[in-house]
Amino acid sequence: MSVRSTAPPPLLRGHSPVGGLDRRSLGPLPVLAQSVSAVAPTAAMATTPGLVRADTGVFAVWSVALATVLALLVAACVRTFSRRMAAPGALYSFTAKGLGPAAAFCCGCALLIGYGVLAMGALTGSGLYAQQFLARLDLSLGPPQLIVAAVVLATGTLVAYFLLRGVRLSAGLTLCLEAASIVLALTFFVVLLVRHGARPDMRQLTPPTSALGPVMAGALPAFAAFIGFESAAALGAETRRPFLTVGRAVRWTVVCSAALFLLAVYAQVLPTAGHTSVRLPALLDLGVSLSFFACALASGTALVRLLFSMGRERMTPHRLGRTHPTHHTPHIAIALVLPVLVLVPLALIAAGTAPQVLFARLVNLCVYGFLTAYALVCLAAPVFLYRIGELTHGPVAVAVLSVPSLLAVLLAHAATGGALIPSLFVALMAAGTAWFLWMSRRDPASVGAIGVYDETSAADVFPEPPR
Amino acid sequence: MSAEALPLSGRQPRAVRNALSVLQQVARAGPGVTAKEISAGLRLAPATTYRLLNVLVEEEYLVRMPDLRGFALGRRVSNLAPPRPVPEVPAAAHAVVARLRERVRFGVHLAGLTDGLVHLTDPDPDHPPADGGLLRELARIRDDGAAVRRFALGPHQACLVRPVHSAANGRLAAALAVCGTAGRMEAPDDGLIHQLNVSADELTLLVV
Repeated sequence: MSVRSTAPPPLLRGHSPVGGLDRRSLGPLPVLAQSVSAVAPTAAMATTPGLVRADTGVFAVWSVALATVLALLVAACVRTFSRRMAAPGALYSFTAKGLGPAAAFCCGCALLIGYGVLAMGALTGSGLYAQQFLARLDLSLGPPQLIVAAVVLATGTLVAYFLLRGVRLSAGLTLCLEAASIVLALTFFVVLLVRHGARPDMRQLTPPTSALGPVMAGALPAFAAFIGFESAAALGAETRRPFLTVGRAVRWTVVCSAALFLLAVYAQVLPTAGHTSVRLPALLDLGVSLSFFACALASGTALVRLLFSMGRERMTPHRLGRTHPTHHTPHIAIALVLPVLVLVPLALIAAGTAPQVLFARLVNLCVYGFLTAYALVCLAAPVFLYRIGELTHGPVAVAVLSVPSLLAVLLAHAATGGALIPSLFVALMAAGTAWFLWMSRRDPASVGAIGVYDETSAADVFPEPPR
Repeated sequence: MSAEALPLSGRQPRAVRNALSVLQQVARAGPGVTAKEISAGLRLAPATTYRLLNVLVEEEYLVRMPDLRGFALGRRVSNLAPPRPVPEVPAAAHAVVARLRERVRFGVHLAGLTDGLVHLTDPDPDHPPADGGLLRELARIRDDGAAVRRFALGPHQACLVRPVHSAANGRLAAALAVCGTAGRMEAPDDGLIHQLNVSADELTLLVV
């Protein structure tokens, strides 16, 4: 009956490889706030229904339902890892444990593009909606581009400050901002529902047997609205009970966002909502602007922790792996990346790109990064379980469903826009690959170190082993 | 959560029993035992075993070893046993500390360290340590040599601490702390350091 492990127990370190971060300090709410903010549900409720409706017309809710299923499958794969390891590099480190360093670095580059460009897009979006809000109030303080640029600069500076001070301070703010903007948006959509009356709109709820193609096409913008739900994983090392909290945060973010998106789409497709796209009240513009600010903060949080992990592995200059002595945040990574996040949108606006066009292109570009990273982590999940000897049928089925679907969404996404954004993405990924090849010749040890995470240390084990 | 108020029903009692036997199996097999080995040892279906292991890891009764395959008991398990009684300090140790108090004009505290827990076994009655700051700092002492180290206690206070290793088994068993104004502790005279070292060396024979 009794078994004894054949292998000698693996060596435990005295210190965590990600030490320096504020380990094991966050409760469930800040972790949930991280994922919810990155999704920016208010912004998505305001912008997504129009896009989905353009593809599917009256069956838009079904597209959102389809996208929800895909997001839940990806969340299940993320949870496979987040129940077993806490890594600030999140999906990047997860992929390393399943598919090895090369695929992991590919995932890491895709995530750098994803979070980086999402943060730029969110800063631009925040400026854009703040400018619209001011314009609606007839407060024209100057040319629109100038106002957008000023807001981008101001919010960027605030994001830098909050990133440096750490999640515990920013979580309270983002929670309040998100809650306030969601309440604003919900009020608006509930008013639309009440105007329609109690009877359900059966046109929308009938299964779309005749319109499967459009429903699938509409799932693309609908899925893009969920992007960022996985970002709670980046706080794994800083969460008090990471193996429970992170997975729950990721799953509940998908569930709650799905409920909000379904409501928003349903309400906007109601016959009483009018045939042109619904005009949002001015106050909701402010809500969307705040939601984008929280989104920039959340994607910045995940981005600097990804760079921090790469710095600890020495895949990037090791200074990026340093942390602030009192705030316990990766301050060098913040100092390096925040100016880029602010200056790129500012330079493009200064060069004459209209803020709306810039915003749409940035969001378009970040979707490629996220879809690539999701596909890799979903592929990595069953391989990882096989490697640690815990593979069952369920995770294989999830990967078999999710990986081809994600690739299909990726291809569909590439087919919709022009060639500019996909080729930009390919060029950035090629630069990342070149960096990886150079590093694997110059410093194979750091390539081998890819996948750094908050390992169990001697102090976590009972009884504490002698050192 | 209303679910917590519900009585156990259906297969739940068996799940609880299985979870406890998984816990016991890890304790019996020692650190590094894998999910497959636990499943085979308990003749429990692999999928059930993996699910129970994940729940126990989420609740931190178990931890995964750095290879992510093996399991070990987590620190939370220590909550299941009653806390160890605080060891009595021999009268001779009190005498050593009392002698040091007579020689230096600072607060002198003796703390015992067991299983990562700190307790003030002999706090200075004339200079009672303020709030929990001293205990928190003492809890951070790591077993890396016997050198005297200094830390600040708020803006005006500082302490010199000397770890005490038991002569019987070499374990880090106690810490002797001298606390005073930050200025005096910033540049302690050699006499003070010497007194601290002498007393700590005497204590090595008196602590386990």
